[in-house]
Amino acid sequence: MNAGTAGNGPRHTVLRRPGARDGGFGEGDEALRVMERAAGVDEGKAGLTEGSAGQGEKPAQRPGVKPLYLGRKDRIAEAAEKAARRAFLADRVARLGIWSLSALALSVVALVIGVILWNGLGTALSPSFLFGKPEAMREGGGIWPMVVSSFYLAALTLLMVIPLGVGAAVYMSEFAGEGRLTRLVRFGADSLSAVPSVVFGIFGMVVFVIYLDLGYSLLAGALTLTLLNLPTVMRSAEEAVRSVPVSYREAALALGCTRWETVKRAVLPVAMPGITTGAILCVGRIVGESAAVIYTVGLFVRKVPWSPLRPAAPMAANIWHMYTEGALVPDWFRVASGEAAFLLLLVLTLNLAARWVAGAVRKRMGYRV
Amino acid sequence: MSVISFVSGKVRGRRPGSVGAEGAAPSQNKRAGAESEAIPGEGAKFRLRDVSLRYGNRPVLEGITMDIPERRITAVIGPSGCGKSSFLRCLNRMNDLVEGCRLEGLVLLDGEDIYAREYDVTALRRRVGMVFQRPNPFPKTVYENVAFGPRIFGIKDRETLDGIVELSLKRAALWEEVKDKLREPALALSGGQQQRLCIARVLAVEPEVILLDEPCSALDPIATQRIEDLLAELKENYTIVIVTHNMQQAARVSDYTAFFLIESQGEPGRLVEFGDTATIFTAPADPRTERYITGRFG
Repeated sequence: MNAGTAGNGPRHTVLRRPGARDGGFGEGDEALRVMERAAGVDEGKAGLTEGSAGQGEKPAQRPGVKPLYLGRKDRIAEAAEKAARRAFLADRVARLGIWSLSALALSVVALVIGVILWNGLGTALSPSFLFGKPEAMREGGGIWPMVVSSFYLAALTLLMVIPLGVGAAVYMSEFAGEGRLTRLVRFGADSLSAVPSVVFGIFGMVVFVIYLDLGYSLLAGALTLTLLNLPTVMRSAEEAVRSVPVSYREAALALGCTRWETVKRAVLPVAMPGITTGAILCVGRIVGESAAVIYTVGLFVRKVPWSPLRPAAPMAANIWHMYTEGALVPDWFRVASGEAAFLLLLVLTLNLAARWVAGAVRKRMGYRV
Repeated sequence: MSVISFVSGKVRGRRPGSVGAEGAAPSQNKRAGAESEAIPGEGAKFRLRDVSLRYGNRPVLEGITMDIPERRITAVIGPSGCGKSSFLRCLNRMNDLVEGCRLEGLVLLDGEDIYAREYDVTALRRRVGMVFQRPNPFPKTVYENVAFGPRIFGIKDRETLDGIVELSLKRAALWEEVKDKLREPALALSGGQQQRLCIARVLAVEPEVILLDEPCSALDPIATQRIEDLLAELKENYTIVIVTHNMQQAARVSDYTAFFLIESQGEPGRLVEFGDTATIFTAPADPRTERYITGRFG
C-alpha cells in the first residue's frame, strides 16, 4: 500500500528499458503503463525501488515474490515504443497526404478561376464591351444583348420553375402522405436530374421549337430550362419545407389554422431562406447552361431581344459559338474570354448572394446563425 | 367576431382579468350526457364518455369517462407513456394529425360532439387553445407572434391588432418585459418568456379552454413559478387542463386532478382516479393513486 503511493514518481524510470532513448512520446509512456498493467505487472512492486534504485536498476526482490515481469518487461516496452513510433509516423503521413490533396483541389479551382480571369477580366470590366453592340464581321464588338438574353432567360425560367417546383414540394411534403405516389415522383425527379442537359436541349428543340412552332426563342429556352431545373428546385424546396420544425405546424393548427393557412403563414415563411437559396443557385445554373440553350434559344444576336418569342443569345451559348464558329470576328478570343470572365464573376456573386440572403433572413427571424 | 368583443372590452377600459367572462357564460347552462359524472357544484366544459383512442393497432387510452369542470384548473398526472398527452390532444383534435389515429366514445364540448362528422375542427381549435411542452414561438417578431391568430381571422386594422397584442401580453403577464421589444424576434426571449408568449398567442384568439402539455418541463423554477401564478389568474376566465409530470405542480395549481395509469407495456392508459386535488393528494380512494403520489413508483 505504502509502496504503491510512494512509487508515483520514479515508476517509469524504473520500468524503462536501460538506455532507452527518451523520444518524448507521452502516449508511448501511457501505452507502456497500460500494457504492463495488462500483463500483470504489479505497480506497487515497481515502486518499491524508490530511493534505493538508480536508473535502469532491477527492483529489489521481496522474499517469496517471484518477479514475473522481469525479462518480459523489456519486450513490452519495446513493442509499446514501436507502436507509438508507428502511430506517430502514420499520423504524419496521413496529415501530409490529406493536406496535399486538399491543396491540390484548391489549386485546381484557383487555376481555373485564375486563367479565366487573367484572359478576360480586363475585357469584361470595360463598359464599352459589356454594354457594347456585338459585331458580326469586324472586331471590337460588345456583349450587351447576350447579357440581357441571359438574365431574360433566367427570369422567364424562374417565373415558371419556382411556382411549379415550390408547389410540387409543398404538395409532396405537406399534403400527400408518404406513399407510392410521392416515392414515384421523387424517384422520377432524381432520375431526371441525372439526365445530361444536352438531352433536354434536343427534347426542347423537338417539342417546343419544332412541334409547338415556337422557333428559336427565349420562351422555348425557358420552357426547356424549366424542365431541366424542375427536379433540383423541387428537391431543394422540399428540403427547405421539410426542415421547418413540426412544432410550428402544431402551433398554427392549434390556433385554428386550416392546413393551407398553416402552410402559407407558418411553414413557407420559415422555409423561405432555403427556397430563396435554391432559386438563386438555380439562376446560376440557368445562366451557365449552354447545351440546352444552344438547341432552343440561339447563338448570336445583334439586337437586344425584347420579346420572349425572339431568338436570343445567352452568354454561355455565345461563348461556345465564338469558340467554334465565331472566327468571322477576328477578335473572337477576346470576346469569348471577356464573356467567360463576366459569367464567372456573375455566378460567384450569385452563390455568395445566396448564402448572404439566407443568413440575413435567418438572422432577422431570430435564429442564431 | 369574438375578437371584436375582446377589443371593445379593452376600449371600455375594463381590467384585463374581467374581460372575456361574458364570452364563456352562455355555455354554462347547457347540460348533456350522463349526469352521474358531474362534479357537484361545477358546470362541465368537457364531458367524456367511454373514450378510447388507438394509434393504428396500438391502444393508447381506454374507457375514459370524466367531466372537466368549467373555469377550473384540472391537472392530469401519471407516469410517462400513460397517454396523458394523447388525452389532452383528444380535446382539441390535434390527434387527427397522427396517421391511423382512431377515437371511440363521446367527447362533448358544451354538449356538442366535437367528433361529429360535420364539426368544424378549426373552429374547435380556436375555442380550445393549446400550449406545448417546448416553447414554440414562430420565428417572427414578438408582435407578429401574438397577432398571428387575429390575422388568421382577417383582422388587418392596425389599431385593433395593437389592442389585441397589448391586452394578450398583459394577460399573459409579459407586457412589462416585452413592451419595448415588440419588434424584436421572439426567439431572442428567454425560455420562460417564450412560453408566456405562447400563452399570449393563445389568449389572442380568445379561447374558452386552454390546454397545457407540460408547459414548464423546459423551464427553470423561477419561470415555472411565473407560469403557475399566471394560471391561477387565468382560471377566472378560462377552463384550464394541464398535463404535468410534476406532482407538486399539480398539487399547487390545480383544483381537480386526474390520475392516469398504464398497467403494463402494450396496455392502454386508463383513468384511475379523478377528483378534487385535495382529496387525491391527501386521501386517494385507489391504492394505486396513493402509491404513485407517495412516490413508490412511476
